[in-house]
Amino acid sequence: MPRSARLLMRALVSLAIAGAALFPILFGLATSLKPSAEIAAYPPTLLPAAPTLAHYREIFASGTLGYVWNSLFVSVATVVLCLGVGALAAYPLARFRFRGKSAIMVLIVVVMSVPVASLLIPTYTLVADVGLVNTHLGLILVYSAYQLPIVIWILAAYYQSLPEELEWSALIDGYSRLETLWKIVLPLARPGMIAATLFVVTFAWNDFVVAVTLLSSEEKRTLPIGIYNFLGFYGREWGPLLASAMVATLPILVLFVFLQRYFLAGMTGGSVKG
Amino acid sequence: MTTEVGAPIEFRGVSKHYGQTVALASLDLRIEAGEFVSLLGPSGSGKTTTLNILAGLLAPDAGTVTIGDCDVTHVGPDRRDIAMVFQSYALYPHMTIAENLAFPLRARRRRQPADAIATKVRAVADTLGIGHLLERYPREVSGGQQQRVALGRAMVRDPKVFLLDEPLSNLDARLRLRMRHDLKALHQRLRSTAVYVTHDQGEAMSLSDRIAIYRSGVLQQFASPIEIDRRPVNSFVANFMGEREMNMVTGEIAEDAGRAVFRGGALTIALDPAGPWTRLLGRKVTLGIRPEGVRVGEAGESATVDARVRLIEHAGAEQIFFAEAGAAEFCGRVATDVAVRAGDTLRLTLPRRELYLFDTDSGATLVHAGEPAGSP
Ligand SMILES: Nc1ncnc2c1ncn2[C@@H]1O[C@H](COP(=O)(O)OP(=O)(O)OP(=O)(O)O)[C@@H](O)[C@H]1O
Ligand SMILES: [Mg+2]
Repeated sequence: MPRSARLLMRALVSLAIAGAALFPILFGLATSLKPSAEIAAYPPTLLPAAPTLAHYREIFASGTLGYVWNSLFVSVATVVLCLGVGALAAYPLARFRFRGKSAIMVLIVVVMSVPVASLLIPTYTLVADVGLVNTHLGLILVYSAYQLPIVIWILAAYYQSLPEELEWSALIDGYSRLETLWKIVLPLARPGMIAATLFVVTFAWNDFVVAVTLLSSEEKRTLPIGIYNFLGFYGREWGPLLASAMVATLPILVLFVFLQRYFLAGMTGGSVKG
Repeated sequence: MTTEVGAPIEFRGVSKHYGQTVALASLDLRIEAGEFVSLLGPSGSGKTTTLNILAGLLAPDAGTVTIGDCDVTHVGPDRRDIAMVFQSYALYPHMTIAENLAFPLRARRRRQPADAIATKVRAVADTLGIGHLLERYPREVSGGQQQRVALGRAMVRDPKVFLLDEPLSNLDARLRLRMRHDLKALHQRLRSTAVYVTHDQGEAMSLSDRIAIYRSGVLQQFASPIEIDRRPVNSFVANFMGEREMNMVTGEIAEDAGRAVFRGGALTIALDPAGPWTRLLGRKVTLGIRPEGVRVGEAGESATVDARVRLIEHAGAEQIFFAEAGAAEFCGRVATDVAVRAGDTLRLTLPRRELYLFDTDSGATLVHAGEPAGSP
């Protein structure tokens, strides 16, 4: 049966790739469930002999929940701000012809490719000048500034892939441009919006450098800084470290599993119509 | 539905360029209230451009557009009180048919109470026979039904002006004929002004009060279907109308033994002495005759030509023949019961009232349907 043989081959190859990609995460998950003694054992065990939630209890007892809330708040606010501004900014770029449009498009790509680390010092100074150091608002604004270009880029490409007659039709039906954007374009651009959301969430949730630079007080910290502090605090205490890493990884993982379809659609500039 | 008649439309010196391309060259066109006008022309001739400028979707480079008595040149599409049916229908895919139909009535400027909207939507849907589809989404109904939804969405708010951009072109031939009929009935009931873009001259002929014929952004002729058919202003219009291309032979009018003849290459066609030929003597002209005008067999004083049949096509109740006479080829039709075969020689009769003469250089009509054109 060449057909079933081919299917089997494909399944095996896929499994191998998935295994290689997932192994570190799964091994981390397994290890976070082992008692400390077992983690240190040599040779290492693959699965915990007696799974325990002790490390999870420990990190939540020492205030990790607060970090999770901070991260969640900052991420959600960044997404709302980026999508709100980005959805509006992308529209004229997708639909209107005006002087300097290509210059703006080029600028967006250029800004997109500047590494965040090189912007750190100037943005810090800027945030300090307006007195927003060590505030979540400052962090949200900086995250949004970094992520807006890619959001605008994704949304503009997606808008362009929608048939323009729909907007014309809405205009003729008596709606203004803004109403048309709200009632026709945005509902149809949902895959693009979701792809953009994933980009922003991934960045805001995972970011360490910007947060550690801008935030100083303990109770403002986001999850990645919290995890880092465990590292310093416990030294070689792998258990709590891995447990908090799992807590950080899981939400993004779940989000991607549920939304990957849209993510791909958004990445290909809306060539797959929703 | 109101009984009041739609608004008149006027284009004055309207033009539009895309770089070097002239999409529309100084268009002057006045459409009367309640008239059904078709814009007809080959691809890229500026029909959609005209419509989009009228709708306000496109700003003209020059000129003014008036609807009713208002200059709307700088008025946005949402304030022109027009309705448009797009070639692609442009139904909102995320709304049900009912929501699509209600959408124009929910616009801020003409917001109405929900039950009034529901009543109107129901009435329009029933008129168009889509009442049972209201809860479905556009992708869940057939092409013909989508087309009716698009029409319904345009009808629902009693617009003064209806714009239709090739609304039937995505339908199969049968349905197209039926929708054509329905459209005509609809217009007779609504009496809105309708501007209809089409490639299909049959559609234009059967629907329109007047037809505007375009070529490369230039309006060629704006007249009633009969006028366009019988009195085309130039060879382009003459050739464009009709199911098949007009037979065209270039040559000149000469005198032979005191009679006017048309001479094109080796071909000499004796012309009806009563015809308006003498004043065209020596002029470089193109003789044109529609395939429908070509008769087989001799008849009275008409011009005749002997031609050798090259090819026969069967087309339903008749046969189409292509016959050569010198360098010229004539296409014509005979009934199926006439025995014709390739290689036969036919005597073709070209009746005087079917003959057209065009100035070869300018294309301007000199003689149409046997009568001299206004002034050559
Ligand atoms: N956005 C545009 N950019 C550049 N050129 C354009 C644009 N829109 C139209 N044109 C050009 O303007 C001319 C007229 O176009 P228009 O769409 O009015 O033609 P049309 O008569 O509607 O043709 P069709 O029957 O194919 O729809 C064409 O030569 C076309 O290529
Ligand atoms: Mg067109």
